[in-house]
Amino acid sequence: MNMYNKLFTVLLAVLAVVSSCQKLDIKPVNLLTDDQIFSSESGVNVYMAQVYRKLPIEDFTYRPTGRDNQPGFNLHHEWEHFWHAGAACGEMVGPWGGMDIGGGFGYWPYADIRAVNYFIETLPKYAANFTQDKIDQFTGEAYFLRAYYYFALAKRYGGVPIVEVVQKYPEQTIEELQVHRNTEEETWNFIGKDLDQAILLLSGTSAPERANKYVAAALKSRAMLYAGSIARYGSQNFISGDARTQGYVGIAPEKAADYFNQAIAAAKLLEGHYNLYTSNSDKVMNYVDAFLDEKSPENILVRNYSIPSRTAHSWDATFSPRWMTANALSRAYPTLEYVERFGLLDFNNPDGTPKRYSQLTDAFQGLEPRLRATVYFPGDILRTRTFDVQRGIYPAFSGTAAAEVAKLAASRSYLLSGDPNTMYNGKAIIGQTGISTAGDERTRTGFYVRKYIDYRRPQADVDLFTSTTHWIEFRYAEILLNRAEADIETGQAADALACLNKIRDRAGATPLTIADMTIDVVRNERSKELAFENHYWWDIRRWRIADVILNNARFQGIMPYYVFDEQKYIILKEPETFGRNYNFEKKFYYEPMPGGELGKNPNLYPNNPNY
Amino acid sequence: MKLQLRTILLTAGMLMAAASCVKKDNFDAPEASLEGNLVDQGSKNNIQTATGNVTIRLEQLSWSATPAPQDIPVKMDGSFKNSKLFKGHYRVSIKGGAFWAVPPVEMDIDKGSKYDFNLTPYLYLNSFTHQLDSNQLTLRFTMQAPIAGMPAIAEIQPYVNTTSLVGPGASIRDYSDVYKVAVNKEWADMSPADKSPEFVIPNLVRGRTFYVRVGVRFNNDDKSSNLSEIIKIDIPK
Repeated sequence: MNMYNKLFTVLLAVLAVVSSCQKLDIKPVNLLTDDQIFSSESGVNVYMAQVYRKLPIEDFTYRPTGRDNQPGFNLHHEWEHFWHAGAACGEMVGPWGGMDIGGGFGYWPYADIRAVNYFIETLPKYAANFTQDKIDQFTGEAYFLRAYYYFALAKRYGGVPIVEVVQKYPEQTIEELQVHRNTEEETWNFIGKDLDQAILLLSGTSAPERANKYVAAALKSRAMLYAGSIARYGSQNFISGDARTQGYVGIAPEKAADYFNQAIAAAKLLEGHYNLYTSNSDKVMNYVDAFLDEKSPENILVRNYSIPSRTAHSWDATFSPRWMTANALSRAYPTLEYVERFGLLDFNNPDGTPKRYSQLTDAFQGLEPRLRATVYFPGDILRTRTFDVQRGIYPAFSGTAAAEVAKLAASRSYLLSGDPNTMYNGKAIIGQTGISTAGDERTRTGFYVRKYIDYRRPQADVDLFTSTTHWIEFRYAEILLNRAEADIETGQAADALACLNKIRDRAGATPLTIADMTIDVVRNERSKELAFENHYWWDIRRWRIADVILNNARFQGIMPYYVFDEQKYIILKEPETFGRNYNFEKKFYYEPMPGGELGKNPNLYPNNPNY
Repeated sequence: MKLQLRTILLTAGMLMAAASCVKKDNFDAPEASLEGNLVDQGSKNNIQTATGNVTIRLEQLSWSATPAPQDIPVKMDGSFKNSKLFKGHYRVSIKGGAFWAVPPVEMDIDKGSKYDFNLTPYLYLNSFTHQLDSNQLTLRFTMQAPIAGMPAIAEIQPYVNTTSLVGPGASIRDYSDVYKVAVNKEWADMSPADKSPEFVIPNLVRGRTFYVRVGVRFNNDDKSSNLSEIIKIDIPK
């Protein structure tokens, strides 16, 4: 061994010894620690922002069966908004093969609930960093957020385990962590209690995306209305089973009135703080803009989207035909059944023969402005292009509408086409916007969705992931409808009437009278006003009428035809072009407890009835 | 060729790696089986069902107190069989179906296990007759309730299909569902006419063979039906 090697060895040894002085126990640089989060308001806002982002809001991107084994909420890069809950239950017809959403996707957000519980437990340790106002504000917000998660669980499963503390593993044993299921009544009461705390602690104002006192009251009015109708109607139409006997699903009917009264009280809290949007004297455009104007006094809680944050959605590009957008396609269309909630359409003469129209718009005069603002009708215009909806051409037409529709397709003398460029004597057989015999990228019912469509954007801009229209999670119209429904359930028709007439006045509808006030009228008003906002599915479930109205149901559309020899249009009411069947089994009033969770926790048994 | 150490090591390693693949798991193959019938205890005949109408639910209690259930679909002739079960102690119950509920049974299932459920249907569909006039089919039957007090009757309808697999969920809509009659009555409120309905199905395609049955659907938990036997109808050309 020469001198150099000896020197090298010594140097190496020295280096090795010296390097051990380097402290290895450093804090991770890619995580925020409690000290950082709870040191300032901005730290807490960061924490809150991620909880809000994960909140189970059924917004534009919500997909009721999930996607690729992921929960249906807040999916990354989701653009196919036509997989819409309303398109599985008759508000619309869409890509679903039928009523395919009854089983849900096994939503189980206990990791997110843990994040809220952790916040509630940890904040007091850092109380010195904040004023009491701020502590109340943050704590109230946390109660609202937790209630929101439990609301999303309760409306799916009924009773679920109530976890209000941070569970610790491995300090706690597996048996301790296998929390028992609570009853459905306990779960709804827990939601009510958390929201009462939130209402108590929160101040009256907040950023549009954050909770305040009235946002918590809004959720309370919705949640207690759900609980009330489950108590009342779930006791009339139910499936027996162990879960019901033991109270994990179902609430005693005598509890209904109390829940309804809580819903009314919560809704009344908002009175005077929010108003229906009435900025434009044109009732149609006013209703359209109510969903687009960020300054609307009707908005109680919204979720914003932006292109830089990569949260922009695709509502504009996937609910209008490709003819009016720059990319993508549409696949979900309002049904005639929805449109006729506003009154029956009649396209026939008294003798039953179809009326002849010089232009399609003539057929839709005098309809309620709210309907025109919710649905695009044949002849309407979007981005300078016309909804030229046409099912086909009759070279000549005689007889009544009823006789024609009853005929087998083969014996009808019409011409149909799958291609808008197919001509009959120089006249296109179908329109660019449908109704085609091929595929579903053009309307199947004659209608398109108008709600939330931003008509101000030029066609070239309407691509995927470019829509930044906010989602209105709570708006004042819903609160009035919650109150009206709870009113009518508790025999307070006069107050219900006042609420409905506010909504109808803004909608451009004629006022109702006290004699009109029935539960069906109130429900119909709700279904009209809240269409395509992911309410209808939950409403027909909690009213326990889904198995009746979706009893192998099929839906209809309007089919405009051009009668060639008369150069006029006629419109026939016919089944939507796919003729799909929608059936709701009674067991779907509750979703099954997720199989993976049942495997981990035997205390979640018994599963909901008939699963 | 000289055998090098590294060659020997490589060969030995490969052999060991290959040998590790032959480990057997410690479960016996699922060789046990369960078969049986849903028997009408009045007539001792099998109860007629339809695809997806009734399932037999197995819960392997010897595996776990809360096992994930497995279901055996009951065939249209009222029989069921699963020959790939693990031997063990099971709870066996009936899920769905339009008959008076029977409690679950607990039993050991091994090779060749058999179990018949003795059941009483809500309704008998008696005197099921048909009359063919050219291509128009008239169906008549009479309902009889062995025990009163069953769930309300939701609807009655004929089922027509081109294969013998005919029943709820397997029928031609234009010959079947469009002749559905909504009843929505308790048995006690039904008139004699309600109990002896008639269906007229016109314009059946000439020269074709159809399989036909009738059903009474109840507003019970799974909205299941009592069904008649299946008849075969040849429509003349």
